Amino acid sequence: MLLGIDVGGTHTDAVIIDREGVAATAKVKTDHNNLITSLDAVLEKILSSGPKRPISKINLSTTLTTNAIVEKELEEVGVLAVSGPGLAVNYFNRDLGEHFHLLEGSIDHRGNLRLALNDVAAREAVADCQHKQLKVFAVVSKFSPRNPEIEQTLAELVSAESDFTTIGHRISGRLNFPRRLATAYYNAAVWRRYNTFADAVSLSIKKYKINAPLNILKADGGTIDFKNSRKNPIQTILSGPAASVMGIIALSSITEDAIILDIGGTTTDIAIFANGAPLLEKEGVSFGDRATSVRAIGTHSIGIGGDSAITINPDGKITVGPQRMGSPMALSGPQPTLIDACNVKRLCNLGNIDKSFSGLKDLAEQNQLTTEKLAGEALDMALKTIQFEAIKLLDTINQRPVYTVEEVVHGEKISPQRLYVMGGPAAILAPLLGQTFDLATEIPDNYAVANAIGAALTRTTMEIELFADTGKKTMLIPNLDIERKINSSYSLNEAQNDGISEMVNYLKENNHPEIENGDVSVVEAESFNMVDDYSVGSKTIRVSCQIRPGLEKDYLEGVK
Amino acid sequence: MKNTRHLGVIFFPAYDWAISPTHPEREERLLYTQDQLREEGVFDLPNITEYKPEIATYADIERIHFCFPGPREVSTESHLVAAGGAIKAARLVMEKEVDRAFALVRPPGHHAMKVVHGNRGFCNINNEAVLIEFIREHYGNKRIAIVDTDCHHGDGTQDIYWHDPNILFISLHQDGRTLYPGTGFSEELGGPTARGRTINIPLPPNTSDEGFLYVIDNLVQPIIDDFKPDLIINSAGQDNHYSDPITNMNFSAQGYARLNEKLNPDIAVLEGGYSIQGALPYVNLGIVLAMAGLDYSQVREPDYNPESLRQSPQITEYIEKLCALTMKNYLKPPPLNVKPNQYDTRSKTVYYDTDGINDQQLEQIMVCTSCSGVRHLTSKTHRNSSCMGIEIPIDACQRCRDEGYRLLDEGRRSFKGTTIKFINRREQEYLTVNDFELTPMGRYYF
Repeated sequence: MLLGIDVGGTHTDAVIIDREGVAATAKVKTDHNNLITSLDAVLEKILSSGPKRPISKINLSTTLTTNAIVEKELEEVGVLAVSGPGLAVNYFNRDLGEHFHLLEGSIDHRGNLRLALNDVAAREAVADCQHKQLKVFAVVSKFSPRNPEIEQTLAELVSAESDFTTIGHRISGRLNFPRRLATAYYNAAVWRRYNTFADAVSLSIKKYKINAPLNILKADGGTIDFKNSRKNPIQTILSGPAASVMGIIALSSITEDAIILDIGGTTTDIAIFANGAPLLEKEGVSFGDRATSVRAIGTHSIGIGGDSAITINPDGKITVGPQRMGSPMALSGPQPTLIDACNVKRLCNLGNIDKSFSGLKDLAEQNQLTTEKLAGEALDMALKTIQFEAIKLLDTINQRPVYTVEEVVHGEKISPQRLYVMGGPAAILAPLLGQTFDLATEIPDNYAVANAIGAALTRTTMEIELFADTGKKTMLIPNLDIERKINSSYSLNEAQNDGISEMVNYLKENNHPEIENGDVSVVEAESFNMVDDYSVGSKTIRVSCQIRPGLEKDYLEGVK
Repeated sequence: MKNTRHLGVIFFPAYDWAISPTHPEREERLLYTQDQLREEGVFDLPNITEYKPEIATYADIERIHFCFPGPREVSTESHLVAAGGAIKAARLVMEKEVDRAFALVRPPGHHAMKVVHGNRGFCNINNEAVLIEFIREHYGNKRIAIVDTDCHHGDGTQDIYWHDPNILFISLHQDGRTLYPGTGFSEELGGPTARGRTINIPLPPNTSDEGFLYVIDNLVQPIIDDFKPDLIINSAGQDNHYSDPITNMNFSAQGYARLNEKLNPDIAVLEGGYSIQGALPYVNLGIVLAMAGLDYSQVREPDYNPESLRQSPQITEYIEKLCALTMKNYLKPPPLNVKPNQYDTRSKTVYYDTDGINDQQLEQIMVCTSCSGVRHLTSKTHRNSSCMGIEIPIDACQRCRDEGYRLLDEGRRSFKGTTIKFINRREQEYLTVNDFELTPMGRYYF
């Protein structure tokens, strides 16, 4: 049996799933200041009510690191950065704490060391951090995925002072220095807090005598094993929305291109699926204006939900949201909302309908409109805005740059065939949204606990980048810290096989014996001749492999 | 931050296209540039956005080129995408979606002339000309200045706009006596109806940042100020770089960025540049930052040493004299010996180095006193025995317009070649006449 837990912002949900389907569910309020008590409470509740057979796996989604970052509960980090020539420092040193040290040194795009690390300055920076009693560090150099040597030297230099060091190339093998830098900083800044929480989670699980592997949810809709999450806490951010999306996949049978709308009280989250799989953010998730390299399911949030206030501005334009002034008037709220408009249009029958009518009537009369007309136009405005934003998101995705003639001329576009609607007002709005989008529409059952179901069923995900240079005779997989000699005949085929097998080996050694070669897909595989003096010399080979977000197939039938 | 602008970058490296496996114009030409731009996180900056190219249509190409036998035969899909990248740049700027745009695309185009039989100087389709005619087609007949900063003379663009007084073409390049294509001398100043609208600045080998920026400050900028264009386009070749393997100049990434900051083009289109590891990553980064109005002071090549690249006093003196002479030529170009309202004829031989084609051309331009003049040419190669092109310019007067149709009619009746291409920019009519003998309806069909 699988146990899935989502410690969300408002509620903590848990489900137990066996091969017949959902065997038990539990919901408790989240104690924002003490997530462990929420975890204990939901465990207590579900284990006492659920079947008494042993749990074989626990998947946990938690808002801990997200909260820490949003609320700036961050430990001070000694940041040692080596940029070399390029963008000026003020474009990448924002929001990285008070202890940012830019050191001299440079590695170029080929991974050649062009200027050695300024050793004296590095030691001075470390001494300064020591003086300020910093205990966690982030060390990042430009082009470290091509050559990690400067980062390795820096990690060595801080090792005596450091309880924990995040090393840039271990975060991601993709090229993007500012994102790697920010991600490394956040990873170090939440490390202690996350590990304190993780210790408590271990104790809780022992207390309830669960003896099963524990995995933590990530933002890309996959999991990371518990032990590894302690070194990579940043991977656990924003896992809640990802769990919901995975839940929808579990509850429906999405196989085509589709739009998913999750309509809440204040917002509607839009996600796009291609061939039944959720699309990921191109490079990684952003907080505010700070971009990271953390992979995430792409969701676009807009300020329209069931409780969005209806207002009319001075020139007569009707708007819905983005403000939420409180509950709908039908539930004694202060101002008419989208749900009140639905009550007036007899689309639903929620709370005190008379209050919806009188609230909209007052607003309509102030603007020389009939109540009916105002309700109709407000509803129309909400539907059209949601459609407009979804189409815009789709266009952005379809307009993503590609780099070969083949892809530009013959590349496929995503064209949604179906609309999936979930969330509180789903049943009321789904038929209208279907008309607006002109798409077949589906409301999955059980969507109230989709998040926990998604958490329970999701499998591990991973991504690696392999970079080989047959001239230098080296092969690197930065985030696995693999650096190996190859011979000059090393081929793209060998590189793909190495990428797959190294990823599988790593996962097998890290509590995922179930992963096989077939689970890994090669996302990109390119080999370029490097021509020197007009003759073909060596090759640069780039391979990117991933395990895509997926669900436990053995349990899927029962849930549906 | 300085005066930032929203920059659109159309990055299209064509990773699946090469002239041949070891040709400088091959798959990985922009690979390291992409690595650099990605690692710098350039596309995460709030005022820089990456866009996908459009795909140019054959109509976009036939608006400006006489392609023989036709555009399908002289281009590949990659040329359509590169030209489509330039069109995208134009659209973004004209629709005000961005303030500036940089089409960082390949294959390049500035050696592609009015007549196209194949590939010359790595170019088939002139991306800038396709861009300019796209703008004039959709946004009106603008005055446009093209500044070509490729190390090779932009002979294709010069040929296309030789007779167009609304297009100012300025080319800075290594002296034609020392480099392909061997043209672009000071006395090449445009045809009789566009005298002084072509400006060539042949620079001596080993010209460095100082020399290039002197030319921009003391010649290019004053000419542009005088011409008052609606738009400035930079043909942004990057082979003036000190590390370029096929040229002999000493320009740097800092120099390119400074040049771009001074010139402040609305649109830049990549041309040549074959030091793909040592120059392009840094030059492109510098241009991108300069166009976006961001700080580029830290952009430099790892081996950059300004002292070793300094130009000699002789070069400085030569360039100063060249600028003074060229300014005089622009303001008061030596008159041509032509008669108004009659045809002026020039004959030329165009060699297609890549495809080994030799083209014998005879071109006539009506020396019109009220428009750019109708253009009439014949072109003869071993491949396409004899071809004709007729162009009625966008600003054509009624007389030149009617003359164009008269030439077409005459060609249909008596031309002994294979193909006639007819471009009427005034009323946007484009025709191909061929297979004269085969049609049952007479000697020709459309």
